[in-house]
Amino acid sequence: MMSRMHQKNGEWIDRSKAVSFSFEGKTYSGFAGDTISSAIYASGQRVMARSFKYHRPRSIMSLANHDANLIMQNGAGARFPYATPNVRADVTPLAEGMALTAVNTFGGLADDKASVLGKFARFLPVGFYYKAFHSKRLFPLWERMFRKLTGLGKVDFATPHIRTPKQYDFCDVLVIGAGASGLSAALAAADQGAEVVVVDENARAGGSMSYQPGTEDSILAKAVSHPRIRILTGTYAAGYYADHWVPLVDSEKMSKMRAKAVVFASGAFEQPAVFRNNDLPGIMLAGAAQRLIHRYGVKPMTRAVVLAANADGYRAAIDLAEQGVTVAALVDLRSSHQAGELEVAVKAKGIQVFSSACIYEAVPAADGQSVGSVRIAAFDDGVVGAVSKELECDGVVVSIGYAPAANLLYQAGTRMRFDKGLQQFVPEVLPYGVFACGRVNGVHTFASRLLDGQRAGAAAASHVGFGDGPNAVIPAEAESPSHVWPIVDHPDGKNFIDFDEDLQFKDFRNAVQEGFDNIELLKRYSTNGMGPSQGKHSNMNGLRILARLTGKEPQQVGTTTARPFYHPVPMSHLAGRGFSPERITPIHGRHEKLGAVWMSAGVWQRPEYYAQPGVERIDSIRGEAMAVRSGVGIIDVGTLGKLEVIGPDAAEFLERVYISKYAGLKVGMTRYAVMCDESGVVIDDGVVARLADDHFYFTTTTSGAATIYRELSRLNTMWKLDCGIVNHTGSFAAVNVAGPKARAVLATLTDVDLSGSAFPYLGLREGVVAGIPARLMRVGFVGEWGYEIHVPANFGGALWDALMDAGKSEGIRPFGVEAQRLLRLEKGHIIISQDTDGLTTPSEAGLDWAVKLDKLFFVGKRSLQIIAKKPLRQKLVGFMLDKDFTGAAPKECHLVIQNGKLAGRITSIAWSPSLQRHIGLVLVSPELSAVGTTLHIRLSGGDMVAAKVVPTPFYDPENLKQKEGA
Amino acid sequence: MMSAAFNPVPVSPLADGLSSAVFVSGEEAANLAIADISLQPRFGCKGPGAISWLTAQGVPVPTAPNSACVLPQGKGRVLRLGVTEFLVEGDAALVASLAAAQRPSGVYPVLRQDACLLLSGRKLNALLLQSCNVNFAALDLSTSPVVLTSMVGVGVTVLPEEKNDVPCYRVWCDGSYGLYLWQTLCTIAEELGGGTVGAESLAVLL
Repeated sequence: MMSRMHQKNGEWIDRSKAVSFSFEGKTYSGFAGDTISSAIYASGQRVMARSFKYHRPRSIMSLANHDANLIMQNGAGARFPYATPNVRADVTPLAEGMALTAVNTFGGLADDKASVLGKFARFLPVGFYYKAFHSKRLFPLWERMFRKLTGLGKVDFATPHIRTPKQYDFCDVLVIGAGASGLSAALAAADQGAEVVVVDENARAGGSMSYQPGTEDSILAKAVSHPRIRILTGTYAAGYYADHWVPLVDSEKMSKMRAKAVVFASGAFEQPAVFRNNDLPGIMLAGAAQRLIHRYGVKPMTRAVVLAANADGYRAAIDLAEQGVTVAALVDLRSSHQAGELEVAVKAKGIQVFSSACIYEAVPAADGQSVGSVRIAAFDDGVVGAVSKELECDGVVVSIGYAPAANLLYQAGTRMRFDKGLQQFVPEVLPYGVFACGRVNGVHTFASRLLDGQRAGAAAASHVGFGDGPNAVIPAEAESPSHVWPIVDHPDGKNFIDFDEDLQFKDFRNAVQEGFDNIELLKRYSTNGMGPSQGKHSNMNGLRILARLTGKEPQQVGTTTARPFYHPVPMSHLAGRGFSPERITPIHGRHEKLGAVWMSAGVWQRPEYYAQPGVERIDSIRGEAMAVRSGVGIIDVGTLGKLEVIGPDAAEFLERVYISKYAGLKVGMTRYAVMCDESGVVIDDGVVARLADDHFYFTTTTSGAATIYRELSRLNTMWKLDCGIVNHTGSFAAVNVAGPKARAVLATLTDVDLSGSAFPYLGLREGVVAGIPARLMRVGFVGEWGYEIHVPANFGGALWDALMDAGKSEGIRPFGVEAQRLLRLEKGHIIISQDTDGLTTPSEAGLDWAVKLDKLFFVGKRSLQIIAKKPLRQKLVGFMLDKDFTGAAPKECHLVIQNGKLAGRITSIAWSPSLQRHIGLVLVSPELSAVGTTLHIRLSGGDMVAAKVVPTPFYDPENLKQKEGA
Repeated sequence: MMSAAFNPVPVSPLADGLSSAVFVSGEEAANLAIADISLQPRFGCKGPGAISWLTAQGVPVPTAPNSACVLPQGKGRVLRLGVTEFLVEGDAALVASLAAAQRPSGVYPVLRQDACLLLSGRKLNALLLQSCNVNFAALDLSTSPVVLTSMVGVGVTVLPEEKNDVPCYRVWCDGSYGLYLWQTLCTIAEELGGGTVGAESLAVLL
């Protein structure tokens, strides 16, 4: 039966725009502006979901994003390219072409076979799975069973990576909640000059003013037109982080709002009453019934019983009667109240009022799918009398109290106290710059909410420097809007506290009896509040029960921890648009054209090797290495950190930051440089080149450049030396031309004297290469005669082109990082952070020759002096496998095992084309470091491989390659 | 001291054949336009003697760190990037003379090989909100602020200006990040209804 009412003023639906959709395979029609739930309910379909545990029929309860009864799957189709799981039907706008199904059913909503579980409820008590499914042997079986039985929507793995935007936002005052108090706060703050953003999860602003008659006010129109107020609807504040950082989530994106002050006007969650069968379709909160009527023009029922414990319940009864709903009775849990005129008005509508009464139980209609009647009994603070009356109805409207929507207030660090008069937690001490107003602040009367909003808004504006503070006085509430014990026990149970998890009153009693009598323990044992609604409707009743069962006050029981997020946030929003910065050298395009296969080196993109048609990766790498050994190769080393220190104290500065000496380094020469941290651990290496007495150019590792520059800047600031540091890492391009024919190639492009005597090994020269101003360094990292050539970055491409062109006749070949790693390994050169780790000292790495402890000071000296007196912990040594070794070779990080114990780790290993065997470096216990020692290396599969410790370098141990005529 | 021959030649780090930008115009450009102006001549220096040396060279020096001022005849800008670090950009003759001039002790040359982008359009703030956590809308542009911050994960220097009521921002970054910054900002700009333009399209803003 259709339930759509005549058009109403202020309704949110557009009746001129029909929206067609399907639910459980049946086609429906709603209107633009409907939510999924309101459209289905309007069509007369009551049952929209099945509960999680017992698969009971469920329908609208709050019609807000408070309960999670109505979760649906929107299937893929013509309009929706991929399925969306766990759509919250109460608040999701209806869209054309939706193909909706209920989640968590076996055989569909109408004939859910799992509903039989309800008959076994007595065998499924609280915590039953802890007691029944702990067998390790059978756990895989239980796991499969539970994965099949539980879970809600189904993920569509065809969903593409949706890169939603993610943005920052800013305001002076952020108001969370666009109800009466929130809008009032926004206006007060904006009138005082603050830039205000109001955020509300509903599709429209106004809060309860949009559905509770008698609360209309002009503040919404004023707020909408105010030049300093932005209202963001359909957007929720998902969490609160330090310094007023609040993620705002809408359907498209997440905004990270940085506010100077935050006003929480987040309202309260209307709470359900607990009685047998309180989850039957047709039983709903008063707010839900009134939202259906006034926002969506849907008649919630034809004959209602109102269960009340506050003035809002009486107002709802009057509202229902005026909208043409027959109100069979108003059942008031209280024995007396102060809203006498409301009771008179209710009775004037012909509605019978039962005071000190409760609904003992709801009775299902004949089809079992909705409420058919309720049984009324006397009630006095939990003590239930005999059933006095059974009233037929097709709906029950509940208004017995509220719980503050204080989740974000808790996250902000607010100290809350339980106000016994209000029967509600209210803020006691608010954090700096945080304000609260309205229902969340314990202010429920409409006029008072407006005043409280003004107070909070003025205070927030004043906090950020606009206007004076507030002077409003908020009158105390005349009576509590929440009942102290809205809970009716029943021997047959099914009086639900937590609708997500189908937790009944007796489950709490049993849990406490078993010793889980602390709020956090009770939560985890019973799973109260752990479902998708996160306890918005169950935590308060659960807390009341625990307090009463343990003889405590609610204040003593306390609340569970509120964590972000307040509502589930789509994964696409969390992922957002990823920012993964990449650096490229000016020669990047040349590498690309040469077939570079890229690898990440820190944030840099570097050629791993250059792919050639029909050649395997490893053969390409070895081919590149052999080209360097036999002819000439060229590699882009522009990613090295490139720093300069200039000034009279430049040498002194380097003396302090490196372990070797540089004061005596001659102009025009370079020296290997190792840096340690204060604990004496090797953290970086490079080459220091002296351009002038007061001017050094030095390199760092590729990944260390930014960190080292930052640390050196810190040290220079601290030491106040007369020198300055410049980071030229990105400003210089650099290549290394290496191999027996390197000099011949370079000689065609420069007038610099390249003879061994004029430009010796480790020499530095400034000159012109291919018409480009350049710094040239004689280096030997790869073990061949070679030059590092550094030029301004914008000349990098031209330099590369010139060298490639000049080397064509010599067969010059570009080589990548992998070939370089192989070549340097043959030469026995280490790579910091590959052949060392976060504990390796220079002595352990075989760099003790570089440590100059006779210097007055350098970073790490004191630690190295102490370490020098202690036995070595480990030693980096070279090793080889047998020349004839075949089979699976060890890999980096494979372990050395000695007498069954861990004795070392391989840091580098490769098959050397020059030596025609496997070589490597290994960090081993000192007793295994002697040349000739046999090492036993365990492979991933457990097989052992023997290796022998050998001296390094493996290749050219006499360093003849750097000598003229060698 | 660094050789004067190390003065950069005008080759943009983005002009390495990697950019395949399709230029927009009209309404799209008015929404949001991004141009590569890395070719602007520039000179950098730092050190305790930098202020007096620049002044002696006839270069106006911004009075406060993290602010900028305009070169004579509006030919470019001087940015003060810290207490004693400066970037001069725009006037080719001035840049050449500064690079060639003798520098005393306490003035350290900084080779500027930045990528530099010019961003303009009415939706510029939307792009900034998606790419940077600085509230540029709150800045007082009359003080010529210079913002050193992170944008899409890249360290940048930003000079926000307004020309004829149109916001016009210059963004410098290390040249090695230039392509990434360019591509990322262009992606966002296209989603916001804007896109890439040639530097000459924004010449009026230079």
